[in-house]
Amino acid sequence: MEEIVFDVFARKNRGEPLTHIGYLSAPDREMARVYAWTTYDEENWFEMCIVPRSEIHLVNRTDGPFAGRGAG
Amino acid sequence: MSAMTEDEMKASVQDGHIVESVEEMTPGYRKALVVQLTVQADTELISAPAYWMAARHAPSTNTQVSAHAIIQDELAHANIAYRLLEDLGESRQELVYERPPEKFKHPYGFDQPLDNWAELVVANGFYDRAGITLLSDVHRNTSYGPLKRALVKIDMEETFHLRHGEVWMRRLAKAGGDAREMLQRAVDWMFPMTIEWFGLPDELKRHSGQLEYRLKGMTNDELRQAWMAATVPLCESIGIEVPAHLDEATGRFELEYPFPCRYDAGAKHWLFDEGEISWEEVFERWKGRGPMNEIYVESLRRSRAEVAAWLN
Repeated sequence: MEEIVFDVFARKNRGEPLTHIGYLSAPDREMARVYAWTTYDEENWFEMCIVPRSEIHLVNRTDGPFAGRGAG
Repeated sequence: MSAMTEDEMKASVQDGHIVESVEEMTPGYRKALVVQLTVQADTELISAPAYWMAARHAPSTNTQVSAHAIIQDELAHANIAYRLLEDLGESRQELVYERPPEKFKHPYGFDQPLDNWAELVVANGFYDRAGITLLSDVHRNTSYGPLKRALVKIDMEETFHLRHGEVWMRRLAKAGGDAREMLQRAVDWMFPMTIEWFGLPDELKRHSGQLEYRLKGMTNDELRQAWMAATVPLCESIGIEVPAHLDEATGRFELEYPFPCRYDAGAKHWLFDEGEISWEEVFERWKGRGPMNEIYVESLRRSRAEVAAWLN
């Protein structure tokens, strides 16, 4: 089963910055939403969202943590 | 891979450099990190079936919820650790679904059956305390950025597991009678089991790549002492006996039994009478794995092939 890497971002409360809290592999976006919600449940997040790793584009360097397999 | 030599890599991380991706690692650094993460991932993963099979002994729906919340956390932690391993080029498919069960790297203690509610709460009190002791040291000291960040969630949740274990140990001790006796029996085999988990004493330990590459900060003996510093006073305060005490003169906790020693897995009994044995003998026992090894691993694999066939 081919899986896609999604990065997970969340903010705890209104007014706080969106923070990268982790990442996961899932077969598609709908499963990724479920996995994100059940895996990263350490807080009552005000907002959580997921982004496919392939849609994160590097701006100032090509070898950063988000490059290739690198971990966010 | 990094163009640095191993010595340059060690000097760089000792100097505070944080590694962010596999391209920055030397082969030696990567190898040490893979071993560390595999132990971590396997321990979290195998704790799930161990706790899950024991959770049926929960005395109420409330306690069922707590027990299963802990299992859910452990599986999420395992998932995150295997994801980190995938970033290093390892295969989760191979690690979780294809390795022979005896090749897993979780501690021998997790290959034992947990047969009643007292054993489950002592596992939460002792094993999860060991987990926090080991992982909070990694969190403070690791030179690998992605692991440091992942451990924020893990440390937070392990603290809850520990609280669950310790609160219940106090309750069972206070209840007296059979409850207290079950608790003492669980502690009798699980205390030495956790002591052994921390591995070779420092005086016998060869070079530790994990310390040199700054993947952790404390030695085996320091970690074992830190675990006892929390666990021995807890047990003393509830009148549960443990074979260790604080030596006031040295400030160190001393064991009151031959260490290491033989273990009868069938009887869940440490053979203190047979005296101290070599670590080679301990490693042989570990390599042979414990009675639940295959059952726990297979319980995680049972339906994978069948469901995959439906989906294709």
